[in-house]
Amino acid sequence: MFLAVLIAVGVVSSIGAGLAAVLVVSEHFFANYGQCKITVNEERDFTIEGGKDLLSVLTGEKLFIPSACGGRGTCGLCKLKVLEGAGPLLPTEEPYLEKDERESNVRLACQVKVRQDLKIEIPKELLAIQEYTCKCTDIQDLTHDMKQFRFELIEPKTIDYIPGQYIQLLTPAYEKSSEEVYRAYSISSDPADKGAIELIIRLVPGGICTTYCFEYLKEGDQMKMNGPYGDFRLSETEAPIVFIAGGSGMAPIKCILHHMKNTDNQRKATYFFGANKVKELCLSDSMSQFESDLANFKYMPVVTSVEEGESWDGEKGLVTEAVERNLKEAEKCEAYLCGSPGMIDAAIKVLKKMGVTNDRIFYDKFE
Amino acid sequence: MKESPNNQKLERLLRSSILVAGGFMGSETRNFTEVIDADSAELARLRFTNEQLAERMRQITKSAIAGLGAWVRIDGNKEAAVQEAKGSLVCPWPHAGRYAKRITTLRDVRTGESIRWSDLNTHMIGEHGFFGGKGSMFRIEPGEIVRIIFQA
Repeated sequence: MFLAVLIAVGVVSSIGAGLAAVLVVSEHFFANYGQCKITVNEERDFTIEGGKDLLSVLTGEKLFIPSACGGRGTCGLCKLKVLEGAGPLLPTEEPYLEKDERESNVRLACQVKVRQDLKIEIPKELLAIQEYTCKCTDIQDLTHDMKQFRFELIEPKTIDYIPGQYIQLLTPAYEKSSEEVYRAYSISSDPADKGAIELIIRLVPGGICTTYCFEYLKEGDQMKMNGPYGDFRLSETEAPIVFIAGGSGMAPIKCILHHMKNTDNQRKATYFFGANKVKELCLSDSMSQFESDLANFKYMPVVTSVEEGESWDGEKGLVTEAVERNLKEAEKCEAYLCGSPGMIDAAIKVLKKMGVTNDRIFYDKFE
Repeated sequence: MKESPNNQKLERLLRSSILVAGGFMGSETRNFTEVIDADSAELARLRFTNEQLAERMRQITKSAIAGLGAWVRIDGNKEAAVQEAKGSLVCPWPHAGRYAKRITTLRDVRTGESIRWSDLNTHMIGEHGFFGGKGSMFRIEPGEIVRIIFQA
């Protein structure tokens, strides 16, 4: 009896294994999709070997679509329109797509397998994105957990971006990460300096890219980045400006201040920068220089708590409290915020209370 | 016990450093289901559930967010602060789930003892009963977090 059961189990297992083998062999020999043509925005097309996911195919063609999960279908960022050839919507895509997006053929590029010719539509701003090879030429400590990195561009040699935008830095595989990963960082440098990019990076415990930059990256090392991305930018109105930032949120604001100086922008501007401790304030000299260079600019650093032995006669408390105390005629202002989601949410609440309308609040949330 | 193909796939992902530096398993020699079983047993011995623990972690994080990075008093003898970074962390389990890169640190002002967790930790404990593998960056010992979080 026992032997009969064993034989039956063995037979069933063998049949299962055989079928699995047949499937693998079939996939190899018959799931050959051949050459597939991909047409982008009806302006450009290229041919690739079918069978790969659309996101990696586009990356291979130097068409960079933002993605945060490495193509696993879990971040929902790599959206684009596939007008023809994508096949039915997958269950893995559904949670990320709104009704109107589904109706207009928006798909997640990482989930669409290229099995036939495709017609796709990529937003124009993403077509302008390029990949840059660069060399790290300077690393400066700003605080105990923030550094400023300067990357000189090797190929292409120059970059054009709108002050406030960000790039994606490619971290190579290293001891603590077996995979290459991209992470987004706002550009902090002077946009007139087209041959280089500066980034302000705050160490994230366990962060793949920040750990690499802080512990492994050395001056002289080559890196790759792509960009620019993002809608955060200064408007062209004459409204007074209030900047509110904390931590590495300093980066895009600094870049915008460079731009204001370069264009002799006379708009009235006040910059509230929040830090928990005096020693977490950074780039004070640069900010003083901007105060000298920009006639109507005022820098207002704010420290949450002053430790024993520290000297500080500036603004104290939360950055939002300092805004409430000091910002005059808020309702006339445009607000530009960059920092943690918590800080931005709190700042928006305060600004609205002070009469700043939604359409005058612009932010680069760390999301 | 032989793991299912889905579990084998998840095991590989947890051990890789695709999502976080060093991966979620650290130097752990057990597979992730064994880690979950052992931590669940420890939590049950302490008479707590994953849901209770995750809910308390969420409450503390929510209170700490108001400090915008500064310490916020929690329960008289403890204080908490959050650090937030650009981007999000993706749950390795096969479902839609993106969590802010937010790290909460809770410390006991009397003893100086502290513990930290990410929003992803809170989710993985509450939904998957996963506290991380030994030696991983964000491994949380059930006994340690219960002591710090629930002790008056």
